[in-house]
Amino acid sequence: MSTIIDFQNVSKNFARRKAVDNVTLKIDSGEIFGLVGPNGAGKTTTMRMLVTLLNPDHGEILVGGHSVRKAPQEVRRQIGFMPDSFGVYGDMTVKEYLEFFAACYRVPSINRPTLINDLLELVDIPHRRDDMVDTLSTGLKQRLSLARVLIHDPSILVLDEPASGLDPRARVEIRELLLEVSRLGKTILFSSHILADVAELCTRVAIMEGGKLAALGTLDQLSENAVPHRLIEIAILDRAEDAQIFLNTNPAVSAVRVQQETGRNRRITLSVDFNGDDAALHELLASLVAGKFPVVHFSEETQNLEEVFMRTTKGIIS
Amino acid sequence: METQTTNAPIAPKKKRWNLFQSIADNPVIMKELRSRMRDRRTFILLTVYLVLISLFVIFIYFFMAESVGLSNFDPDFRQTLGKSIFGTVILIELLLVSFIGPGLTAGAITSERERQTFDLLKTTLLTPSALIFGKLGSSIIYLVLLIFATLPIQSLAFLLGGVGLSEIIISSILLLVSAIFFCTMGIFFSSIFKRTLAATVTSYGSILFSIFAIVLFVFGIAMMDSLLYSSNTTSANIAMAVLWLVISTNPILTAIFTEVILIEEQTIFYASSSFLGYGTYGLLSPWIIYVAVYMILTLILIFISIRLVKRPEH
Repeated sequence: MSTIIDFQNVSKNFARRKAVDNVTLKIDSGEIFGLVGPNGAGKTTTMRMLVTLLNPDHGEILVGGHSVRKAPQEVRRQIGFMPDSFGVYGDMTVKEYLEFFAACYRVPSINRPTLINDLLELVDIPHRRDDMVDTLSTGLKQRLSLARVLIHDPSILVLDEPASGLDPRARVEIRELLLEVSRLGKTILFSSHILADVAELCTRVAIMEGGKLAALGTLDQLSENAVPHRLIEIAILDRAEDAQIFLNTNPAVSAVRVQQETGRNRRITLSVDFNGDDAALHELLASLVAGKFPVVHFSEETQNLEEVFMRTTKGIIS
Repeated sequence: METQTTNAPIAPKKKRWNLFQSIADNPVIMKELRSRMRDRRTFILLTVYLVLISLFVIFIYFFMAESVGLSNFDPDFRQTLGKSIFGTVILIELLLVSFIGPGLTAGAITSERERQTFDLLKTTLLTPSALIFGKLGSSIIYLVLLIFATLPIQSLAFLLGGVGLSEIIISSILLLVSAIFFCTMGIFFSSIFKRTLAATVTSYGSILFSIFAIVLFVFGIAMMDSLLYSSNTTSANIAMAVLWLVISTNPILTAIFTEVILIEEQTIFYASSSFLGYGTYGLLSPWIIYVAVYMILTLILIFISIRLVKRPEH
């Protein structure tokens, strides 16, 4: 896959505040790339520079080889941008709204009716084509915004908080829509506070904090970086202290924490930081059983993005 | 017979510029006109505008007719009445256009910012000039509609006589240039400010200044007739030039002085300075200076507005 978005040492200051600080990032064609970070981390500024609304103070951003500073029109041709606000004209019908943006993107007028019908089908609101935009619900407005973003058939979609303000059903539907759009071969860069969405959709994720890239990679890579060891959860019925001593003798175990006692069976949970491979893990379980420890549960905890996020960020605001 | 074929590429036919096609091709004009025509305030404004002008004309008609007796219309009086009605309609139209124009455009860019659609437009292929001309064009089209709507009232003057073709053409040019300028002023302030309220207040403040403060300024200068009639010819000439320029940059004074020149001197393009009681050299008629100055100002404001819209955020 080729690089379609290339941030090269990009910085942006607002007065003396560094909103984006020396960000270098490459996004490949066809990726679904998630940008996460606390409020004020610089996500929106990064996106606004990408879509030519802001000029970077330092560095260069290339979109399909075109500089956002030197060839903004070429960049705009390739990007469909959905800001975090809906930005809809209430006094137009759904069809007129899309026609207007098609004209703004110089889509030939002969192609517009078919294109608008197809897009309304894609976002599943063909029955609302003659309704005024004002009468649409928040979820439907977001669908309409997505149709607008696709009106000039861009290769890249930049979506700032596409699921914010949506109810759970609408959120799931937008997520499905994004997957469908991705299957059309589009590159998607989106920011979100809803980490479950990011984890489910994205091929790669960047975590921003204080204007800097705090972490970058696939979810697995981020988990690995945030928590360098495997986390094993073992529940036993008795002999917790013996088990702790026994586990500490294993060279692959770096720490053992007694976490909680739960349930009617006085089950004790041991949380183990483990540095070995699967074979070593099997041996650990076998040795516990051989030592006649009353093991009732043995599992490896997978890191979710929320945990990775909490471990990576420190709550710095740029 | 053998036909000769050439491989020379056929030059594409150069498209002739077509005003109506340009309007139809500008998405902003079409969108704005559609929205405006859907808004019932558009028709309320048109009605109020026509009612106001009609009331003034009725007032002038009865006021003047009363002074000579309604059944005693001699041809000379009829012509004076016709001129008065025409002049009143033009002056009121000038005033209304000065106030309606910026009202239509002061929110042109700021409203896009307020409803958060400005970013969407800026990330499309729509050029800043297309945006500015689209907003301006749709407002001017509406003002032209207002001006055309008063034609039946103006034509009352033709029934009475006394109004020539040159007066109609010059007044139409003055109205159109004023409409374009005042709309552009609204767009200019709309490009500068972030809020519609600030843009509207500043636009109206500037217009009030240009209409009324300059009128006061003229009277101030006229009071300084010691300068005009001083023995120092240079200072008298400078005072004369300043006075003439000030007259020619005020829409109301321009309309009045042009009409007076048309009546007194029977000329369209020139006036003699003796008309003001000083010297005998020629002066350009105020409407020509007005059109030139306001067109130049309009172009400058459009240029700055485009630059302001074009600049990225900071």
